[in-house]
Amino acid sequence: MKNGLTIAFACIAVCMLAPFSAFGAGGPKPELRPKATTIAELAERYDSSGCVECHEDAHDEWSESLHAVSILGTPRTAPTIITAIEKGLKLFPYSGVKEDSDITVESLMMCMKCHLPQLDEATDDVAREIVATIRSWQQAYRDSDDEKAEALEETIASLNIGCMVCHNKMAIIHKYADGYPQPDTVYGSQEGDHEDEVYPKMAVAPALGESIFCGQCHGQGPNFELDHPSQCATAYGSYLFAYVAHGGNESCQECHMHKSELGHNMASYRDETMIEMALDVSVEGRSLFWRKDKGEGVLPIGVINVEIYNKTGHGIPDG
Amino acid sequence: MGRGPYEKSGLLRETSIPPLARVHETFEITYPFEDVAKGDKSRRELLNDELIVTVVLWYLPFGEFDGNEVVFFEEEKNLNLKTEWIWR
Repeated sequence: MKNGLTIAFACIAVCMLAPFSAFGAGGPKPELRPKATTIAELAERYDSSGCVECHEDAHDEWSESLHAVSILGTPRTAPTIITAIEKGLKLFPYSGVKEDSDITVESLMMCMKCHLPQLDEATDDVAREIVATIRSWQQAYRDSDDEKAEALEETIASLNIGCMVCHNKMAIIHKYADGYPQPDTVYGSQEGDHEDEVYPKMAVAPALGESIFCGQCHGQGPNFELDHPSQCATAYGSYLFAYVAHGGNESCQECHMHKSELGHNMASYRDETMIEMALDVSVEGRSLFWRKDKGEGVLPIGVINVEIYNKTGHGIPDG
Repeated sequence: MGRGPYEKSGLLRETSIPPLARVHETFEITYPFEDVAKGDKSRRELLNDELIVTVVLWYLPFGEFDGNEVVFFEEEKNLNLKTEWIWR
């Protein structure tokens, strides 16, 4: 009997340990790559065009997404970065930024932590080049120089949340347990060899399919790790504290990629399917004579009652 | 606060619809009428006993109608006062 109990306890212990042993396929912290010194160099390092040959569908979906134009935006993001510099950085007494020439990677991280996380692999010259390019693009528009504006827009759009931002740089969240992303590995749901010269290996990133993965940017509000936290996206906070806490159990990826069939487009409000998935709206109406008050007397009014039910896993609107 | 995220110390006002929540909005629309003099008294008369109401739910990503606005929902509702014809 005692032996039986021991075996049972051993089995339970093994079962309990198993999930904690299922670490991801990261590895030791790799040596930092040399800093990119130009936009072109940084864009090339994270260029997604090498993926299109084998992953055409995913690449096409992604190219329709805002991730593909993460600092250009709709294009309202790029001008907003300039506003953040003019109305924020340059007016803050301790930012160290009075002129564009004072801008550093660190000072831009208030925006770029999410809009271009790979900027931390570039020199301060690249940060200044980005700002100068956005300003030249705006000027070209003001000058009605469409050809120049288009070329500069292409340069701005060459910096984005491409394949390797999610499938390598940001792929592993719990690095002490799962290891650091390795420079020769593409992370997803499979492991093995990968037919690519730069990334010849595939490995599993344990959290890639979990909401926390998206929460790295679509986050919980202020980015407290920065010297100047900015109040930004709260979608993951809303998801944790108002959706999961009230019984919600779907992940970001389930709705934005799978159920919507949008895949790597993962659009939100710009897509009809997502709009339908997001809200139930019902409208009821009636008419009556309403005795309002002594002054205005009896009025003929129509009453419209609107009910909106948010079916999503986060506040609407949010980002 | 209408300024960018770089100036905010936190959410100062939350106007989004929480997940799994229902919100209600009521709109009252007065039918067109006029007070018509009848001798030394006046009587209210409906100018139209039908209303066509279009309910549109807009999302304004940047807080204004700047070309980026998106229609989330649209429905037309016909209201009438035909069964309430006596002005009480």
